Amino acid sequence: MRRTALAICTALLAIGMATGIYAENVKLTFMFWGSPAEKDAITKACKDFEGANPGIEVTPLYAVYSGAEYDAKMKAMSESDTLPDCGYFASETIYSYAANDFFLDLTPYVKADNMEKDYLPQAWIKFKGKIIGAYTAAEAEVMYYNKDTLTKAGVPLPPTDYKKAWTWDEAVKYWTKLTVDTKGKHPGESGFDPKHIACFGVNHEVWTGMLWPRLWGNGGDIFTADAKDVLIDKPETIKAIQQLADLRNKYMVMSSPGLTEYNSTGKTDPKVLLQNGQIAFYVSGAWELLDFAKMDFPLGVGALPISKKPAQVYISGVNVVFNKTKHPAEAWKLQKWMMDPSKTTELYSGGLWMPTKSSWYTDKADLAKWLENPAHPKGFKEAVVDSMAVARNEPLNIKNSNQIISEYLNPELDKVWQGKDTAENAMKRAAAAIRKSGLLQGLWN
Amino acid sequence: MHCKKETLWGWILVSPLALGLTVWVAFPLGVAISTSLFKWNMISKPIFVGLQNYSFMLFGDHLFWQALKVTLVFTLTSVPLQMLLAFAAALLLNTQVRGMGVFRTIFYLPALIPIMVSTALWMFLYNPQYGLFNLILDNLGLPTLQWLLDSATVIPSLIIMSLWSIGNVVIIFLAGLQGIPKELEEACIIDGGNYWQRMRAVILPQMSPIIFYNLVMGIIGGLQTFTQPYIMTNGGPSNASLTLMLHLYKQAFNFSKMGYANALAVVLLLMTIAVSLLVFRSSRSWVYYEGDRK
Amino acid sequence: MKRTLNRCLVYVALLFGATFCLLPFLWQLRSSIMTMPELFSYPPKLLPADPQWKNYRDVFAVMPFGRYYLNTIILVLWNIAGVLFSNISIAFALTRLRFKGRNLLFALSIGTLMIPTSVTMIPTFIEWSWFGGLNTFLPLIVPSFFGNAFFIFLLVQFFRTIPFDFDEAALIDGASYPRIMVQIILPMAKPIVAVMVIFTFLNTWNDFMGPLLFLNDQKLYTLALGLKSLLSSYNSYWHILMAAATLVVLPLIVVFFLGQKSFIAGLTMGGIKG
Repeated sequence: MRRTALAICTALLAIGMATGIYAENVKLTFMFWGSPAEKDAITKACKDFEGANPGIEVTPLYAVYSGAEYDAKMKAMSESDTLPDCGYFASETIYSYAANDFFLDLTPYVKADNMEKDYLPQAWIKFKGKIIGAYTAAEAEVMYYNKDTLTKAGVPLPPTDYKKAWTWDEAVKYWTKLTVDTKGKHPGESGFDPKHIACFGVNHEVWTGMLWPRLWGNGGDIFTADAKDVLIDKPETIKAIQQLADLRNKYMVMSSPGLTEYNSTGKTDPKVLLQNGQIAFYVSGAWELLDFAKMDFPLGVGALPISKKPAQVYISGVNVVFNKTKHPAEAWKLQKWMMDPSKTTELYSGGLWMPTKSSWYTDKADLAKWLENPAHPKGFKEAVVDSMAVARNEPLNIKNSNQIISEYLNPELDKVWQGKDTAENAMKRAAAAIRKSGLLQGLWN
Repeated sequence: MHCKKETLWGWILVSPLALGLTVWVAFPLGVAISTSLFKWNMISKPIFVGLQNYSFMLFGDHLFWQALKVTLVFTLTSVPLQMLLAFAAALLLNTQVRGMGVFRTIFYLPALIPIMVSTALWMFLYNPQYGLFNLILDNLGLPTLQWLLDSATVIPSLIIMSLWSIGNVVIIFLAGLQGIPKELEEACIIDGGNYWQRMRAVILPQMSPIIFYNLVMGIIGGLQTFTQPYIMTNGGPSNASLTLMLHLYKQAFNFSKMGYANALAVVLLLMTIAVSLLVFRSSRSWVYYEGDRK
Repeated sequence: MKRTLNRCLVYVALLFGATFCLLPFLWQLRSSIMTMPELFSYPPKLLPADPQWKNYRDVFAVMPFGRYYLNTIILVLWNIAGVLFSNISIAFALTRLRFKGRNLLFALSIGTLMIPTSVTMIPTFIEWSWFGGLNTFLPLIVPSFFGNAFFIFLLVQFFRTIPFDFDEAALIDGASYPRIMVQIILPMAKPIVAVMVIFTFLNTWNDFMGPLLFLNDQKLYTLALGLKSLLSSYNSYWHILMAAATLVVLPLIVVFFLGQKSFIAGLTMGGIKG
C-alpha cells in the first residue's frame, strides 16, 4: 500500500516536473518611465499582453527618472550586460547608440508582418536603411486654454482649424487683454503693476522640443539640412526667439519663463494654474491631456498661432528592442502590441498618446475610438490631429546635437528669456561659438 | 610571542578595512584615472588619447573655467557662513534652557529631510510668483527677486539654502562644546573674565580642532556640490550654477564623454587634496591640541 | 537682572533660529493637506480651507508605499549590523594592537573621505555587475561591512583615551583579543555606538543615489525612490509628494528626538579633538 502511494507520488512529481520544464515561460523585461498614471496604463498593457500570449511573462521595469538619467541607466546597464529586452529610449541620443549596434534590426520582422505602410512614415526610426525602433506615440504641440477665463475677459475663443489660426500679433493682442494685475489693469495701461499680476495671458513652454513650431513657422531653424552649420543667426530664427522672449519682457503677458533645460522637477504646475484662472493659455505637449482629464474645468484647445505658415512638431520617446535580447521574436511581439492602438486604447483615449497607426487618423471609426471622449476637447482634431500633416520630426539625426544645444544654445537662450540681451546678439554669439567648437559633424545616417 | 599573536589578530580584525580600501577605493580610483587617458562613450571601445582630455579641459572647454569659478565662489562663501551660523547655533543650544531637547531636534530637522524633498520645497519657496519668500518680501514692502531664475541671484539662493541644512555641523560643534572641561571655564569666571574673554581664552582654543575638522569637511563637501544644482537648476540659468561635479555628471551621462568626465574627476580629486593640505598646513598656527597625539 | 535679560535673548535667538529651520517643514505640512489648486493659489494661502487628510491615504494608492517602507527598514537593519560588525573591530585593531602598516591604513581610510563619489560610482557599478549584485540589495548593504572612515575616526579617537591597563590586566588573565574587545572596550563605547546607529539609520533611510543606480525592479524600491517617482518630468503630484515626504520624515524625527542625548554624548566622547 505504502509502496504504491510512493510510486504514485513519484510519478506525479515527475510529470509535474516534466510539464514544468515544458511550460517554462519566456521572460521578458520592458523598461519605461512616466507619471504614476502612465505606469498604471503600461503595466495593464503588459498584463493584457500576457493574457493574449500564454507562455510569455512580462516584467515591467518602471524607472522613476527619464531623460538624461534614463540614458545614464541605459549606459550602466549596457556596461554590465543587464539591459532589458525592450522598452522606452530617450530619443535625443538614439542615433549614437544605433551607430554602435545597440538595437535589434526590426526590418525583417516589420516586413514579415507587412506593417510598415500601416503606420505614419515619421513613426519609424531608420538607421542606414534598417528599422531600429518606432516612436512610442506621435506627440505634438498644443495650445490649451480655460474657456471660463476667456469668457469672463470678453476674449473670443481661438479658431480650431490649424490653417486658420490667429496670427501671432493677434494672439499677443488677446493675451494682453487677458493679462490683468490685482487691480484689474492690463499691460500698457497706466498704473499697471507688473509685480502683482493676478492672471497671465499665456505660459509657453520654452524647452527645445516646444521651440520647433515657433522656429519653423517663422521660416527659421537650428541646424541646416546637412547639419554642417547652424541657422540660429538667420533673421527668421532670431525673430522667432525674440517673439517668445518679448512675451515676458516686452508685453508682460508671461511669467518667469522657467529654465530652458527641461527640468520641471518642482516647477509650479501650469496645468493647475490654468484651472485656477491664473493663466489663460498654456502651450505644451499633447501628453498633458492625461492629467487635464482628471481636472474638472472647461478646457479648450485652439490652433497654434501662425507667423508665416502653420507648423507642427512630431516629438515622442522611442520604443526599441535591444540587440542583446535573448528572445527577439517574443520581444518583437511585445513591441508590436505596444504600437497597436487597438490593444492599448486607454493610453490613447486617456490623452497620454497620439497614435502612430495611420488609419487612426483617417478612418472615422478609429478616430472616434480615441477622440470621442471627455479627455479630448472639441477642436482637438482640427487643431492638432489634422496639423500632423505639416509635422516635422524633431531633428535627432544630428551628431552632437544634444551637446550643442545644451552647452552652447541654451545658456544664450537663458539670457534672452531673462531679458538680459536681445535675441540677435545672443544667437550671433552662440552661432560663432558653435562653429568654433568643432561639434558640427553632420548627420548620423 | 605576544608580537606574533598581536600582528595576526591585528590583521584579522582590520581585514575588512584593507579589503574595502582595495575593492571600493583603489580599484575604482585606478579605473577612473586610467580611463581619463581614453576617449570612451561607454558603448563602444575606448580610444587611447593620452593627455588630450586634460589639455582640452584647460584650453578648450569654456565651461570648465566657468564651473571652477562657480564651485570656488560657492564653497568659499557658503562654508565660512555655515561655520559661523553653526557655531552660533551650537552656543545657543548649549545653554541651560528648558525644552532644549525640542530645540535641538528642531535645529537638526532640516538635515533629516530627504534631499529630494528639501530641494523640491525650496524650489517652491523660491518661486517668484507663488513662493513664500517673495510673499514675505512683498508684505514687507521690499522688491521681490527672481531667485533661482536669474543668473545673478542663483548662487546666493543656493548659499542661503545651504545654510538651512547645517544640522550635522551644529551637532558636532555642540558635542565639542560639551567636551570642554568645566574647570577651565570656571577658572576664567573666577578670574573675573566676561563672556568675550571666556570665548577667546577658553572656548575658541578648545574648539579649534573641531572647527578645523568641520572646516575641512565643509570644504570637501562644498567642492563636491551636486544634488542641489542638479535638481533645482540643472546648472542654469546660463550655467551660472554649474558646479564642477554637475559639469562632470553632464559630460559623463548627457554627452557620453566618460573619459573626459573621469579626467574632470581626477582634477577635482587633486583640488580637494590640495585645499585640504593647505588647511592642514595652516592649522599648525591656529589649532590647539591638548595632550598626547600619537 | 542681567541673567534674565541674557535668558530672554537666548530664547529669542532660539525661537528665531527654530523658525528658520521649521519654515520649509511647516510649508510642507500645510501643503500635504491641500488640494493641488490650493497649493498654487496666489497670494499663497497659509492654511487649507478644507484639510485633505485623504492625501495621506492616496500616497499608498499611488505607489506601493508600504513595500517601500519595508525595503527601507530592511536596508537600515542590515547596514546597522554591518557598521557595528566592522568598525569596532577595525578601530580596536588600529589602536590596541601593534602591527606594521597600522598607521598607513588609518591615514588611507581618512583619505577616502576626500574622494568625490562621482569618481567611484561607475567603476563600482561595473564591479557589482561582475559580482552579479545588480538589481539586488547587495550593493547597498555589503559596503557597510567594510568600514566607514568617519566612524573609524570617531572610535579611534575615543579608544586612544582608554588606558592600556585594562587590556593588560585582561591579557594577563589569559583573555584573547576578541574577548577584550567585546567584553571590556565595547561597553565603554556605548554612546559612540549610539552615534553610529543613528547616523547609519539616517543615511540609509534617505539614501537616494545608491538605490537609483543599483535598483531596477519596483518591488525593491526604497522610500527615497518612491518620493522621486512623484516628481516625474511630466507632472508633479505635489500634494501627495508632501504627504509622502511627511510620512518619510516622521520616523527620523522620532528616532533623533529619542536618541539625541546619547547621540551628542557619543560625539563628545569621540572627541574630535586631535
